[in-house]
Amino acid sequence: MGRTVAIDPADPAPIWRQIEEGVRRLAASGALAPGSVVPSVRELASELRVNPATVAKAYQRLTDAGVLTVRRGEGTYVADPPPRFPESERRRVLREGATRYAALALSVGADSERAAEELDAAWRALDRSGARGRER
Amino acid sequence: MSAARDGGPVAAFEGVTVRYGSVLAADAVTLAVGRGSVYAVLGRNGAGKSSLVRCLLGQQRPAAGRATLFGDDAWRSRREAMARVGVVPEEPDVPPEMDAAEALAFCAPLYPRFDRVGAHARLARFGVPRDVPAGRLSKGQKGQLGLALALAHHPELLVLDDPTLGLDVVARKALYEELVGELADRGTTVVLTTHDLAGVEAIADRVGVLVEGRLVLDEELEALKARFRRVRFGTAAAAAVPGELLAPLAPLRLVRGGFGVETVVERFDEAAFERLRAQERMPEPEVSGMSLEEIFIAVNGGAQEVRR
Repeated sequence: MGRTVAIDPADPAPIWRQIEEGVRRLAASGALAPGSVVPSVRELASELRVNPATVAKAYQRLTDAGVLTVRRGEGTYVADPPPRFPESERRRVLREGATRYAALALSVGADSERAAEELDAAWRALDRSGARGRER
Repeated sequence: MSAARDGGPVAAFEGVTVRYGSVLAADAVTLAVGRGSVYAVLGRNGAGKSSLVRCLLGQQRPAAGRATLFGDDAWRSRREAMARVGVVPEEPDVPPEMDAAEALAFCAPLYPRFDRVGAHARLARFGVPRDVPAGRLSKGQKGQLGLALALAHHPELLVLDDPTLGLDVVARKALYEELVGELADRGTTVVLTTHDLAGVEAIADRVGVLVEGRLVLDEELEALKARFRRVRFGTAAAAAVPGELLAPLAPLRLVRGGFGVETVVERFDEAAFERLRAQERMPEPEVSGMSLEEIFIAVNGGAQEVRR
């Protein structure tokens, strides 16, 4: 995978959401360390060949959620220290993600137990990579 | 002039009809392109895309309706409007004996502001030689010269007529990167026709699909992708899926093949789908999103049942 964000045209999720989740994933896994620079809107848009407005929307949401931080005139960075979500925001983000995951599981014919197993495995994999150590 | 309408669409079609003899090339087409947005006009060959472009550029007078640029009739105010429009034509319009430097020098005095330095820099980025006659440039280089000329006067609206036609993968990539840069730097409004659905998918805000001159679809791409789904049933299950069982999904088309039953759902409704899954006779379906290309094919295929 590496330090990239991939766009899947067959994903019904809007591209801004795919970018948002891609960056979230990179930050959560530690592939993007706190304080590291993320590409500018123009750079990432050129690299992915997507509309800059789409990248800007993803960045705006990530900034609002505290995943990214903008230093004026310098660029956009991964927030440091990792964001402490207010409970309402945490609930919203988790529910949004859970709904999407449940729908995905459903679409491949998995029941809730099977889906929970996979979630657990993913959680353990993150543990191993040390990403969860940063959580508080 | 159009100052009062600055909040309105940059380009619009209001019931535009174009006839060539008995052929109806455009049939009462109505659509609007908002400032700063990218509108992709899609359609098969002969669907009427180029006729619409000609109307928009004031080169073709509609038999009925009108096209507007910045709120003014495109046919009547072509001269004033075109100073604010950049055009990349389907066929390059630089004379074959003229090289890129000469073409820039020729165009510069035609516009009140013309960024020659920027245009030369763009050509250098593309790797287009400035001293080779346009007629001897490759297809990709001609297109790049066309784009450099179209953007040199910093147009508010950029119109591209099938810009990737005949371009190889590398040239296409360069073109999209340049387009993305222009959007990022200047927020230019863009109208383009194209067959490259995969390439335009990540750039277009809104798409229109023309089928035999009629605009059968005019929608934000995000909304379009959110409502289309492909629903499949595997081979073993296929026999158990009678068409009427799927009726609640209002499938656009149903294909029965060696690998089961596949249907395209135009207005995917989570609740209706859940009710369907809960039915006793229903085998487990597989649901996936669709790319713009897949949606385009489904829309052009029409609402029919195909058996193969």
